[in-house]
Amino acid sequence: MNIPIWPGSSSFAPNSGDTPFGFYDDDYDFQTDADKFSMFASRRLGYPIMDIELQDIHFYTAFEEAVTTYGNEVFAFKIRENQLSLEGADASVDVTNSTITPSMANVVRLSKQYGAEAGSGGNVTWYDGEVDLVNNQQVYDLNAWAAAEGLDRKGGIEIKRVFFESPPAITQYYDPYSGTGFGFQALFNSFGFAAMSPATNYLMMPLSFDLQTVQAIEMNQQVRKSNYTFELINNQLRVFPIPNGSGGKMRFQYIINDERIDSSESEGNDAVANRVTSVLDAPYSNPIYTRINAPGRSWIYEYALAFVRETLGDIRNKYSQIPIPNAEVQLNGDDLISQGREDRFKLIDRLREYLEQTSRRQLLERRADESEFRSKELNQVPMVIYVG
Amino acid sequence: MALFTSGRDFSMMRHINRELLNDIISQQASFYKYKIGDTKTNIYGEAAGEKYFDGPYIFSCLVSRSDQEFPESDLGVNFNQAIDFSFFRDDLVDTMYVPEVGDIVLYQESYYEIDDLVANQYFGGKNPDYPNNGSAGQQNPLNPGLSKFGANVSIIAKTHYVPADKLNLSPYKERL
Repeated sequence: MNIPIWPGSSSFAPNSGDTPFGFYDDDYDFQTDADKFSMFASRRLGYPIMDIELQDIHFYTAFEEAVTTYGNEVFAFKIRENQLSLEGADASVDVTNSTITPSMANVVRLSKQYGAEAGSGGNVTWYDGEVDLVNNQQVYDLNAWAAAEGLDRKGGIEIKRVFFESPPAITQYYDPYSGTGFGFQALFNSFGFAAMSPATNYLMMPLSFDLQTVQAIEMNQQVRKSNYTFELINNQLRVFPIPNGSGGKMRFQYIINDERIDSSESEGNDAVANRVTSVLDAPYSNPIYTRINAPGRSWIYEYALAFVRETLGDIRNKYSQIPIPNAEVQLNGDDLISQGREDRFKLIDRLREYLEQTSRRQLLERRADESEFRSKELNQVPMVIYVG
Repeated sequence: MALFTSGRDFSMMRHINRELLNDIISQQASFYKYKIGDTKTNIYGEAAGEKYFDGPYIFSCLVSRSDQEFPESDLGVNFNQAIDFSFFRDDLVDTMYVPEVGDIVLYQESYYEIDDLVANQYFGGKNPDYPNNGSAGQQNPLNPGLSKFGANVSIIAKTHYVPADKLNLSPYKERL
């Protein structure tokens, strides 16, 4: 058996199995660059002074993998950069060569949890419930109430609001015990209950006065009276004052705990098939080789060369000792592998650093810096005194 | 079935060997093979008169030289040097040259007669010429297909110096 090795030239045949995946076989630039790269790489490895124990398919394979790796790195960066805008978008629309405009959709979605907890919106439903008030019963077990409603099997409930409150202070605005003021006198006058001025005498008070009066009423109720209040620990509701009569209802609002968790998983009822759910299904595909610019292609050549170097090292390293007549030699497989690997890692680091420098945040920061520096620079220009 | 030291693996080593011997080390030696039919012999079976040779056949090889010796005898000072020539066996196979004891090797204007031939260097310890198949063509029951594994790597010719006048080789007609 005689396996041919690199003869010094090659002729790429698209869609003939020269590349393992054939991602870019139909791309004219890839077709022409494949052979050029093979020559470039073989010469970098020492051909024709040294034999290269590789075939053209090794060069093509490395070349294809380098293009794919380059695309993966760039698009992985794009996904990281835009995941907040992409998540939930239509996964069937390929955005490989699209410009992504950031959207607030997912920011709003992420904020819904705050609304749900604060009771000002959100995606968790608040339900109404009520218990019968019992004469002289101060503590009401709302867990027992939930169990009776069958809600304990749904993770139980969390009480969000209890309607055990004193009447609004405004209803006591005219309570003679709550306070005094010109407003009352004016009102009394207007109804003819007082003799100090005619009914037409009405003293208009500022709104702040009314508010202070309401606050005074509330403070009065808290300090001088047994105000309505409650304590809620582990859904054991302890009310103050103790009800002194039956027949009333105490209403409250609650959420079902499982629904809070479910709202995280499925985005409520908005879950739609074929939406981007993670970086896994972000709609990016392999790059179009023709669109890759010169710096990108240069990176690809270097990365593919590192791959080729590693492959050659693997081949030369299969047997640590190669028999030659009456002796054995050790080839440079180890060196090739370590050099190839080191080159690849360095190239990946360099590319990631470069991409990071072109992130939206970095670009905006740089732009802001430039603006600041430009402003400082302009401040150095002497001011001209205008002479009219 | 064997997995390592296949013909595919040895193909790569063949490239390495040829690159090493031809392009990097570049040591060479030439064989002369006796033409027994053309050489007249005396009653003792020794060559009588001229000797005839085929060759020279030039090959790349590894040359392992021992030091020159100048032993003294009643006839004066003599000269001797033993050299081992290691050939890549596939080179010889490709040219269908079979070295034998008694063949002459030309190396650096001097002649060396082969005393001994060693063909004992096997890749992976396996000689594919002996796959241990049955005489009726049955495959080796333990390891079928052994003929595709291993290789006979080298032929080492152990030689000693021979004066040119004893060979009667014409330096102008029969040498390189």
